[in-house]
Amino acid sequence: MDKNKIKIGIIGFGRMGITHYSIINSHPNVEIVSVADTSKTILSILKKFNKELNVYTDYKELIDESKPDAIIISTPPNLHYPIIKYAYERGVHVFCEKPFTANKQQAEELTNLFANSNLVNQIGFAARYGDVLNKAKELIDQKVIGDAIRFKGEMFSCAIIKKTSGTNWRDNEENGGGVVYEMSSHMIDLINYFFGEPDNVAGTVRNKVFSKNVDDLVSTTLIYNNGLVGTLYINWSDESYRKPMISLEVFGSKGKIIADFYGYKIFLSKENKELNLRKGWNTFYLTDVYKPTPFYVRGGEFTNQLYNFVELILGNQKTNLCDFAEALKTERIIDLMFKNSITINN
Amino acid sequence: MNQIDKIVFGDNQFFGINHMSQEKAQQLSEQFYKIQNIFNVYDIAIDCGIKAIMLNSNQRAIDICDYFRKNESKYSDLNWYPSIPYPHKYANIISEKGIFPAINELLFSNNTASGVLGMIAKGSSAIFTKDVIKLMQMLIDAEVKMFKGLNIKVIFLQNVVTDLLLGFGIKEVFEEYCSYIENKYKVIPGLITLNLPYCITKLKEWNIKNVVICSSINKIGFTMSPNIASYEEIILNNNPNEYQIMAMSTLASGAIPPIEAYEYINNQNIQSVVFGASSKKHIEETVRLLKG
Ligand SMILES: NC(=O)c1ccc[n+]([C@@H]2O[C@H](COP(=O)([O-])OP(=O)(O)OC[C@H]3O[C@@H](n4cnc5c(N)ncnc54)[C@H](O)[C@@H]3O)[C@@H](O)[C@H]2O)c1
Repeated sequence: MDKNKIKIGIIGFGRMGITHYSIINSHPNVEIVSVADTSKTILSILKKFNKELNVYTDYKELIDESKPDAIIISTPPNLHYPIIKYAYERGVHVFCEKPFTANKQQAEELTNLFANSNLVNQIGFAARYGDVLNKAKELIDQKVIGDAIRFKGEMFSCAIIKKTSGTNWRDNEENGGGVVYEMSSHMIDLINYFFGEPDNVAGTVRNKVFSKNVDDLVSTTLIYNNGLVGTLYINWSDESYRKPMISLEVFGSKGKIIADFYGYKIFLSKENKELNLRKGWNTFYLTDVYKPTPFYVRGGEFTNQLYNFVELILGNQKTNLCDFAEALKTERIIDLMFKNSITINN
Repeated sequence: MNQIDKIVFGDNQFFGINHMSQEKAQQLSEQFYKIQNIFNVYDIAIDCGIKAIMLNSNQRAIDICDYFRKNESKYSDLNWYPSIPYPHKYANIISEKGIFPAINELLFSNNTASGVLGMIAKGSSAIFTKDVIKLMQMLIDAEVKMFKGLNIKVIFLQNVVTDLLLGFGIKEVFEEYCSYIENKYKVIPGLITLNLPYCITKLKEWNIKNVVICSSINKIGFTMSPNIASYEEIILNNNPNEYQIMAMSTLASGAIPPIEAYEYINNQNIQSVVFGASSKKHIEETVRLLKG
């Protein structure tokens, strides 16, 4: 085994686990030593092609026997808490897929534990690593559109467009399924990233359309004590979107900005000479702000995020874009949404 | 190695795919709702001298292939460059059911199921490497079926799949894919990738040759991982007898004006370009600029 490489174990080998394996295996200073999943079929196939890999059906064995320096967790969300806790007790760095946990209390406990350790801890809110959204954040921080007054965040996908059987973990709220945890958590996290944690939540309405046990659509209003207000609308049952879409519109005292993965538009009431922006509309595309990613699988965000995790462990980078304390904010907002919401059955 | 066509006509414009704008994508998907409008654009392209078509194995491609087969006499000297699979078909079933049940459903519904699938369905761990390879071959066959009877030159693996597998770094999978395409279909295996330097380096290491590599290549380095400098170096030193290179995204989704974009492309050591356009003006202009 190469001493200069960090040893990584991957727990949960579904869609995200497979993606993470591919991405991080391309990193020159990483060696994937083990994979855990409850599906023996998946493990047996993996082992056939990579004889040196250790495979486990029990994540505890993975941690105790293959002794990784760090783990990547991509199991259903209800397992995030016990796995992270176990890793903490054994001094292992943790990257865990979003949502952090399936309830606020668990997230609080884990955040406190890791705050008092030197272990790198990160949650997979990949939208924070998007080139366009980061540019939009930078412009808002520079007050190019003045003080932010209102925002509108939207996400759409066609993930659930038929009645479901209810057997998948995504169809169970206690397991961290449903559109609120699964999808709107991305948007809430982005809002936390842009503006900090909202102080209040109002008017949460959820619709159950196709899913047997959980909601498919949600809208809510986020309110800040400083006067900033925003509405969110998230829908994973919209067939008109072939690919998932995320967009954020921010209205400010001097103009507005509309951003998604592919580009951003700024409207200004006065010319900004310094940044070479016209009065009126200015349109920019991803190509204007694109930064190459070291290894491209399913977009640069996932790669930049995992490379950030590894570089933090190696000590080559200092800024963690989404540690547990950041992701805890989203858990608190979701908790507020659930406490006071109306559900409509369609 | 059999030489590939210098100019290949792509298909993104027909299927409401536009990487820069949701609105433009919607407009395209309305424009090409009537399939006759797609055939009309193909006719324009062929009039402009296009002799090769790249087409992804999506639902609409079934009708497109049918049309070209039925009118074989009119289109006899066209070369086809299918790309497989159609990723969205799998994405939705996988998110609903999980990976293996999804594969099962797709193959069972094609009536090509065999013992290995039964075993996978039961979650058996007694699966052999050869079974996995067999499964891969069945998936390829299911996707290529719609192109049967057309004059296929290269069969490409979509970048979503190629790049995921490249990351896994499993030599056998690439060896098996390439030899299956060569032996069963008697055509050149192709890989679409957004990591061309990584891809070629790996293929060399594994001694896999005679492959067409299709990758974004453009003046501004858009979707060229890890960076444009690595691309330029490996392309400059590439031996086209081992790997023929086909450029895609040459305009970087419209960020580079055509004259500038193709001047850059014409100066690279590459063998082919795939482009998409839906108006006579743009198709003519592209063909003219590429011929230099
Ligand atoms: N960042 C993103 O954009 C994004 C996208 C999709 C999913 N996710 C998140 O990733 C996580 C996984 O989602 P997915 O889509 O990969 O789900 P999935 O259902 O495809 O995969 C989950 C895997 O975990 C395995 N598993 C279940 N229990 C286990 C256990 N006790 N030990 C080990 N493995 C176990 C399952 O067998 C399965 O292979 C979720 O938290 C989800 O919210 C994030």
